[in-house]
Formats: sequence, structure tokens, C-alpha cells
Amino acid sequence: MLNVKAYLKPDTVQSAYEMGQIPGSLYVSGGLMVAQLKISNVERIVDLKSVGLTHIEDHSDVFKIGANVKISDLISNPYLANLNGDLLKNSIKEIGSTQIRNMATLGGSIAFKLGWSDIITIFMILDSNLEIYDGEFSKISLQEYVKKSPKGVIITEIEVPKSGGIAVFEKFAKSNFDIATLNLGLKVVLDGQIVKDACVVVGSRPMVSQRIKEVEEFLIGKQLNGITKDACDLMERVVQVGSDIRASAEYRKALSRFLLDKALRRV
Amino acid sequence: MKVTIKINGKVQSVEIEPGEMLLETLRRLGYKGVKHACSTASCGACSVQIDGKPVLSCTTFTAAVDGHEVMTIEGFSDENSLSDIQKALIEEGGSQCGFCIPGLVVTSEALLRENPNPTRQEVIDYLKGNLCRCTGYESQTLAILKVAKERQSK
Amino acid sequence: MKTLIQEKLNVVNTSIEKVDGKALVRGKPVFTDDFDLPNTLTVKILRSPHAHAIIKSIDTSKAMIEGVACILTYKDVPHVIYTRAGQGYPEPSPYDTFVLDRKVRYVGDGVAIIAAENQSIAEKAMKLIKVDYEILPSILDYEHAMDKDAPIIHDELEISGAYDPKRNIAAHYEMEIGNVEEELKKCDYVVDETYHTPNQSHAMMEPHGAISYFDPNGRLTVISSTQVPFHARRIIKRIFGVNCRVIKPRIGGGFGGKQALHVEPYVVAVTLKTGKPAKCIYSREETMTASNTRHAMRFRARAGAMKDGTLVALELWGLSNTGAYGEHALTVFMVGGSKTLPLYNKVKAVKFGGDVVYSNTEPAGAFRGYGAPQGMFPIDSILDELAYKIGMDPIEFKLKNSIREGETSPIFKIMGEGREGVDQIINSCKIEECAVNGAKKFGWYEKRKRPRIDPERQIAHGYGVAFAMQGSSIPAIDMGGATIKMNDDGTFNLLVGATDLGTGSDTILAQIAAEVLHTKVEKIIVYSSDTDMTPFDKGAYASSTTYVSGNAVKKAAERMKVEILKAASEIMNKPTHTLELDEDSVVSEDGDTLSFGDLQTKLFYTFNQRQLEVTESFVSEVAPPPYLVSFAEVEIDLGSGKVRVVDFLNYVDCGVPINPVLAKGQVEGASAQGIGMALFEDHMMDKNGRLITDDFFNYKIPARGDIGSIKVRFARSYEPTGPFGAKSVSEIGLDTPGPAIANAIFDAVGIRMRKLPIKSEDLFFEIKKKGL
Repeated sequence: MLNVKAYLKPDTVQSAYEMGQIPGSLYVSGGLMVAQLKISNVERIVDLKSVGLTHIEDHSDVFKIGANVKISDLISNPYLANLNGDLLKNSIKEIGSTQIRNMATLGGSIAFKLGWSDIITIFMILDSNLEIYDGEFSKISLQEYVKKSPKGVIITEIEVPKSGGIAVFEKFAKSNFDIATLNLGLKVVLDGQIVKDACVVVGSRPMVSQRIKEVEEFLIGKQLNGITKDACDLMERVVQVGSDIRASAEYRKALSRFLLDKALRRV
Repeated sequence: MKVTIKINGKVQSVEIEPGEMLLETLRRLGYKGVKHACSTASCGACSVQIDGKPVLSCTTFTAAVDGHEVMTIEGFSDENSLSDIQKALIEEGGSQCGFCIPGLVVTSEALLRENPNPTRQEVIDYLKGNLCRCTGYESQTLAILKVAKERQSK
Repeated sequence: MKTLIQEKLNVVNTSIEKVDGKALVRGKPVFTDDFDLPNTLTVKILRSPHAHAIIKSIDTSKAMIEGVACILTYKDVPHVIYTRAGQGYPEPSPYDTFVLDRKVRYVGDGVAIIAAENQSIAEKAMKLIKVDYEILPSILDYEHAMDKDAPIIHDELEISGAYDPKRNIAAHYEMEIGNVEEELKKCDYVVDETYHTPNQSHAMMEPHGAISYFDPNGRLTVISSTQVPFHARRIIKRIFGVNCRVIKPRIGGGFGGKQALHVEPYVVAVTLKTGKPAKCIYSREETMTASNTRHAMRFRARAGAMKDGTLVALELWGLSNTGAYGEHALTVFMVGGSKTLPLYNKVKAVKFGGDVVYSNTEPAGAFRGYGAPQGMFPIDSILDELAYKIGMDPIEFKLKNSIREGETSPIFKIMGEGREGVDQIINSCKIEECAVNGAKKFGWYEKRKRPRIDPERQIAHGYGVAFAMQGSSIPAIDMGGATIKMNDDGTFNLLVGATDLGTGSDTILAQIAAEVLHTKVEKIIVYSSDTDMTPFDKGAYASSTTYVSGNAVKKAAERMKVEILKAASEIMNKPTHTLELDEDSVVSEDGDTLSFGDLQTKLFYTFNQRQLEVTESFVSEVAPPPYLVSFAEVEIDLGSGKVRVVDFLNYVDCGVPINPVLAKGQVEGASAQGIGMALFEDHMMDKNGRLITDDFFNYKIPARGDIGSIKVRFARSYEPTGPFGAKSVSEIGLDTPGPAIANAIFDAVGIRMRKLPIKSEDLFFEIKKKGL
């Protein structure tokens, strides 16, 4: 039980935002974060689920996904599930458990910018943009969003461009049912044998997911065959990682190499 | 505040605190089969179905369930009979202390509805959020696979 | 499943469904937290944020808000020293604990008891209690507990039974047979290494909890999630001077964690103070931080052997961490030797000893295996290391030196539970069958011919074996009682103090009674563990229920049979030797039958009126060990060091399994916990001594899918002193995973991991060092 005075269910994003501006308010969607945050001074809960935003729209060049879409529903749209070589279809099952995927929403999984979020890594590889509301609607790339700390904003929609290429997600965890010790996403766009474009993201470092530009640049213009070792060496050199109870920084570096190796083999 | 929830087929109007969790509400209403074991969404003992989908009642606000349908373990069998899953768990030795079993049964029912013919790996993947400290899991996996097979042959 | 046995049996050795199974799978309200009494106060405990401190002052005045019934501090509870350990009396554990004390000795130690109308009020009040602490230097690393400048954790005057509290030594033990030092000099091969086993949380799914209330007649009653209701009653009496009734409902797992008093004194203190029912259910965090953990141990092991594979000498010298209080300190440590070393009874010299020290960490206590897993890890590992040095197959080496039927070990006599033990000749030991058939079933010899490392996939496979023994009860100490009462509907009440905590003991005890009485399990109505209703039983620990309580039930049933035959002889007017029991009836040679129902009906109302009821007790003079050989196949990712147990085969000699499915479940569950201890579970503290791994989010017990397949096979064995040939089975499965997995890792990559848990990180850096 949270000792709060009110549980509010706004009808619109605008009214939700206004409610959220009052000190002591907490936005919830799936509700799971309540277990994670040791909340003490919350007085009212603003339930964002009541504003809807559960759409998955297939546009010509993007998918538009409502922030309140449950993780388990992300693969309900087969075209979205199959995007970039079945990225979502293959990776969603790595996240949490059945119950957690039935509760957690896409927006909620991003909003708290948790280091160990698999969702942030996965959607960062997809080059996603967010629609946010802070009095007015605006767009921001997911990459920018996690770097900045826009306070009190509401994520309303996630936009996933239909870019080409094959993407894979790799997760290393101590147990089958644990958050990642390190996670990694890789997307490559090939032109024949040559890498035309690449996106490499490492998460649960334990800091929030980050693109590894050096490795991306290294991959671009090269043939995939035979570059694994050099790419992994580079990854281990440049990745910025830290220590926590799950692993030391040194081990995380080794894991970044291990996961990149696995990912490169898969694509 | 007041919410209306359909619990195991029966519509109930319940007075709740705004910050109350579904686990607390259900236990207060006498659905003691819903178990409290962790509070961190890490064990699955409190699993119930909301609108047919297994979720964790320890981290679900009751206020958010207003107007929805909840199924607890109490809704899956009556005094006279056990469900096939419950029966199989007993037969295979999948229930020792029994504390994790209500959550497991509720989740397994959803599994077999969504995927009537799961592979061993699919059973394990679907139920990985349901911890058990007694059995080592093997007997539970066998029980679920057995039920799937039985239901298929019917 | 059915295994071969020597007697013709109808009920025993069949996989009868658990008698409490239906209630449990339906989620019936059978656990402590499921009982709601009107006007019950919610009890919460304010806990110390410091590892070692004196309470200079404590002010509860601001916390006495509306809805708070009472707040109790050390000033308000009896200043009686005791041990939380639920053991036979007098306990071999030191008296070093108060319900609340002026000194706190670990992060989580109790400071105040708050009782309020509901949880929110209790939590609010808790925040309003002002405590001024004088923080003392602390010992967080038990390996430094005996340092010269170490603070003294137990300086209270009242302490008794601790070995040397001024030096933080709770217990000390040593013994030697022969002369290890001299024998090692003569050996062709000697290994001398140090091994560590970790703290481990029981992580039973049901947290600790208790309720206390006065019944309508004013008798104090405690419903408790306990493995030891009779010990709980005795200890409550010691602390509060009050007689009470302790009821054990269904228990959601214990594994030794509930073989101690955790919550009972708090609720009893509140009920005695307020007269009201009081309920306290621990949160997961409290269960993890403020109850018990497995004793972490460090052993220096030395072993020597000859070229021909004869093991000559074996020594374990250890240090055990009992944490802030000395629960089970001496006995767990001794079991590290007493239930492991007799397995290798052919040595010329053997030595065991060391210290159990206090530290400012969570108190350690009983945990399935009770020291044997901690002892078996170094013993089996060092024998594996020796086997490789000699160039012998480890199965062959271990088998050559292990105990056999008809043999004994002097250790049985020398080492008991906190005192001298008892002599015993081994009547049943099928370790050879376990090893030989197990190796065949596992494919040991074929698998060991395979290449271990797959350079393409960067994966290594390895195969390891471990041997273990345990005991069945604590001989000459453990007593169990059973009462059987006959009813006029042909059923029997079986009243036992034995404590079913999920193990299925109610079921197997019913099977034993049904077998003797020629009836079905459905006709045996089991009621277990209620100190006002059932006869005494020591409780569920030390692998004793099947053996001790089972023998008590068998004795009681046999006497009931005599009583039935006697009464039937009177009613039927035929001599007893012409009568027999058969299918719920008494049958005479000449074909007359009298059903049990009719017999007791006549005795109730019309003929020689009396209630047939018997009570029997059983104490064992011996503790026949079960034996186990386990085979592990591991798969190691060379790029991450992650180890996966692909296959784990247990070949076990537990005598005749009374209920094969339940016996198998005991071994599978113990294996899983052992795999958890070997690979997953780790206690991590911050620099102030606060446990960080205090919930299931950070403390990872093996999840579904973390373990490949666990298999169990039973050897054909019969223990003549056991009920229908049975021995114990619940603990032994935890002894082998640690060494079997470590041995398999060595087999795969040539790296010896001597510290549990084997973390992928640590193994990875070893692999890298080796250049694999």
C-alpha cells in the first residue's frame, strides 16, 4: 500500500500533465515501478493509462506506438514484430516475465530511464523518436531523451522508422529471470557484403543505454566477414561501463565484447 | 474510493484506499489463495489474471482495476473438483509446500489458453516469473506438459 | 514409480497423493497469514540501521499516535537470555540473545516492537521513534573476527554456553584420530588447499510469521510458521514465564530457516501487554536480512594418498561465521565433519576442528544439510584434486575409499550433535550401486572421452561427480511421538508432533500407519503439530521425520493393531492368534469378519466400552546415513564464464522410499538449492553491513530454465532399523551440487574453483588468465 491521498484518472494528456505539475504527484502506467522506487513523499498518483494511447499504427514510413501499449502487445502487430529481421519478436521474450510484460507499458519502460531497461536498448537500435508533452507536444529522439532529464513530461507516443537492415538484441543476465548485467543491440544495413549503416547500443552498463559511435563508424564501409575480432577489441576499448552488485566494470567490458561477438555472428 | 471489479465471475463493489494494491484488496476480501511473497515483482506468487492475462497483484493498483475482470486461484476449481492442472501438479509432485502453486496455476491456465500445445521450452519461458524453492521445477514442467497433451487429445 | 523392496507392501513405497495436496493447489487459507482474528493488532519491528551500536536513548513518546496500541523497547520486555535455535533441551547453542537488547549487533537487529490497529499506522509510528545510537566498531568480515583489536560483540554478563566470547568465539571443536601430520609425510600425493562456502538465504516462499492471542479461556495461543512448535513453546515459557499452545498450520517452506524463533516472541510480548491478538508477518526484506542464513565457512583441507589410490589422511580445519548470534553455531560446524568424514572411513588418520565466530552480520542458523554441504565441498573437491594428481578416475578413487555395509567409522562415536555421538555399524549402504549404475546412466565414461572445448562455438563441456552421506536423525536425542485413535466410522486419527513444512511428512506418516493397519491412506486423518493436541515431536530437522517420527507411527500402529485384535477377539469370541487384519476389517481363520467401523461402534456403545487409542514414542540409537552419488554436466561460455548445469543426475540410497514421488521431489528440490548455492546465490553487503541482496530482485535463486534437467534414481536398498526399510532423504541432495559442479568445471577448463558461489565473472577472468 502506498500512503497516498488520491488516485487520479485523467481523460486527456493535457489534464494528466496539469495534475502531474502539482508537487507530490507520480505518474504511473503499468504500475511496476512502484516496486522499484522507494517512494516516500508521493501524495497523488496520476494513472496515465486512462488517457488511452494504446494504438499501434502502421504508416508508410513509420510505426506509431501509443505509450500505454503493453510490452506483451508490441508483437501483436506482425509487421512491427517482424521489423528489421524479427527484432521485437525475438527480443521481447527476454524482457522480465509473462506477468511483467502484461503490465509494463512501452512509455513507462522508457520514462524512468533505468539503466537496465532492455526496452530502451531495443528501441534505440530502431532509431526511435518520442512524442512528449510538456504543455505542448514535441518530438525528441530516444537517444536525446535518455541523455537529458526533461522533468514532468509525459511520453505519449513512440515512433519507429521503417528503416532497412537487420537488428539483433543480446542480453547477459545471471539468471533466466533477472535484469541484464549488460545488454547490447546491433543493427546493420548491408549493401551487398558492405556495411552501409550500423547502430550499436549498449545498455545496463549499469548506466542507461548508449550508442557506441566508434564501433558504428568502424563497421561502416567494411565487409562483415573477418572484422569481428577488431570490432570487439574496439568495443572493449571504448565502451563506458561501471560497477555495481551485478558486475565490475572490467567484467562488463568483457561482456560487451562477448555480446557484440554473438550479435555479429547472428547478423 | 469505490471501485467495481468482477472477481471470479462475481461483480463486487469495493471501498478501497487510493494507494491500495490489488493483492491487499483481494486478501482483505478473503481471496487468501493470492499469496504475498516478495513485493518486488520478482516471484509470481501473487499472480492473478486481469481480463484473462496473468499479472502481479502485488504491483497492480486496485484503483486501476476498476471495471475490469479478475480471476484468482479460487476461480479455477470448486469444492467438488480440481482443475486438470491442479490434479497434474499433485500427481507429478509439482506442489510441495504449495505457497507458489496458486500463482503458478493461474499463470499456467493462461499459458494453455494462449498456446494449447507448448513445447517444454515454451512452458519454461512462459512460467519463468513463477519462482519455486521446493521442487527444482522439473515436476511442474512435466505436469503442465501432461495437461497440454491431455487437453489436446480431448 | 516403484522400487524393489523386501516386504510385500500395499501402501508404503507407492506414490500416494499428498494428503494436504488438494487444499494447497486450491489456494485454501491454510498458512499463518491466512488466519484473520477480529481486533488483531499489526506488529512491526523497528530495526537497527547500524551493524554494532549501543542504544543511548530511545524516545517513543511522539510515536504513540492514535491507533497505536503499544511500543515496546528493551526496557519493556523480559531481560531473559536465550537462544533462538529450536533444538533439544538443553540446547547446544549459546544463550546470547534477548527479545530486545540495549545493544544491537547487526543491521536488522530488533530495536522496538510496534503494535497498531493496522499496518499504515504501525509504519507511521515506526518513523516517529527517536533512537540515539552510539556506533561501535564492527566486524563485517568474519575472517577478521579473532583479530587482536576486534571489538567484542557479546560483552553481556548473562551470556552462557559460548566458547570464548571475549575473542568472539561462539564455539570451538577439535578431534583427531591417528596422526594426520605424520601420515601426510608418508603419502605419495598430498593436496593442501583452502575452500570457501557462502552465506545462503533459505528463500522459502512463505515469509516468517506468527499470530498470538488468548483463547476464550485465557490460554495463550500462538499460530506460527515454525518447524519446531514444541521447542517454540518451551522457549516462550523460558522468556515470558507463560505456558502456551503453539499451533503449526501449513508451512510454506522452511529448509531450516524456521528451526528458530523469529517472530513468536514479538507477538507474544504484544499480546501479553495488550491482551489483544497480535500478528506479525515479515516482509521479504525482513525474511532475508533479519532471520537466518547458512553459516559461511572457510576450510583449509589437507589430504594425502598413495599411488595405488589409497586415501591415507584427511583433515579439515575451519572457520565458521555464526553472525551476530550463535544459533546452531557448534552443531552446524560439527556436522561439517560428523556427517561427511565417515564416508571415507578407511583413512589412517583424520582430523577435524576449528572455530565458529561471531560477526556483525545476520545470524546464521540451520539450513538444509546443516553443515554437511559446507564440509562436503572441501572434502569432495580435495579428493577430486587428489584423483587427478594420482591419475585415477575420480569415481574409482572415491569408491575405493568409501564406506560399505557392515563397516563403521570411529567418528560416529566421537562426533555427535554438540557432544559425543553413538557407535553404529552400517546396515545399508549402496554407494557402489549408486556410483556404478549412476555412471552408466549418466554416460560418464563415454562423455569423458569427448573433447571438452569447442573452439568454434567458444563453449566448453565438463563432467563432474560428487559423493555424499548424511544422517537420519540425531541419535539418542531426537524423540518423536505418535497417537492413533480409532473412530466408529472405521477411520483413524493420526496425531503427530512431526512438522510437515511442505515436505509431505503428513502423507508418508499416514502411509506407514495405513500399511500396518491394513487400511487406506484416506482412512488415516492426520493432524500434525499442535502442542495442545498432538504428542511431542522434536520437529522437522536433521533428516529425522521419516526415520524417527516414521518409526514412532509404525510403533503406534503396531500397538493399535494389537489393541484391535484384542478387542475383536473379545467381540468375536475367537482367540487372537486366529485373527488378522485385512482391508479395514478383522478377519478370522474361519472366515468371519468384523469391520473396523463395527468394532469401534460396539466398543463405544454396547460392549466392553472403551476408546481404542495408543501413543508411542521413538528415540533412535543410531542414525543410518543415506548415500548419494551425483553427476553433473556443465556447459561454460568461454566468452563470459557463464556456467549452465545441463544435466544433473542423482543416484540415491535412502533405503526404501516410502513415497517415491515425494522422495524424488525432496532430492530434486535439494539439488536446485545446491545449484543455487554453487552458482547463483550470493550475500552482498554495503560498507556499513547492510545486506544489499535483500529481496528476490537482487538475490537470485535459480529460476525456471536456469537449471537443465535434474534426474533422480533410487538404489535398491533396505535399512533394517528404518520404518519399512526407509532412511532419510530430505537434506542429502544439497551436499553434492557444489563439489560436482566445481569438479565438472575443472574437467571442462582445467580451473579449480575453490570458492562458492562460482560467479561467471570470477570464472571468466580465470579462463582469460589461462588463455583459453
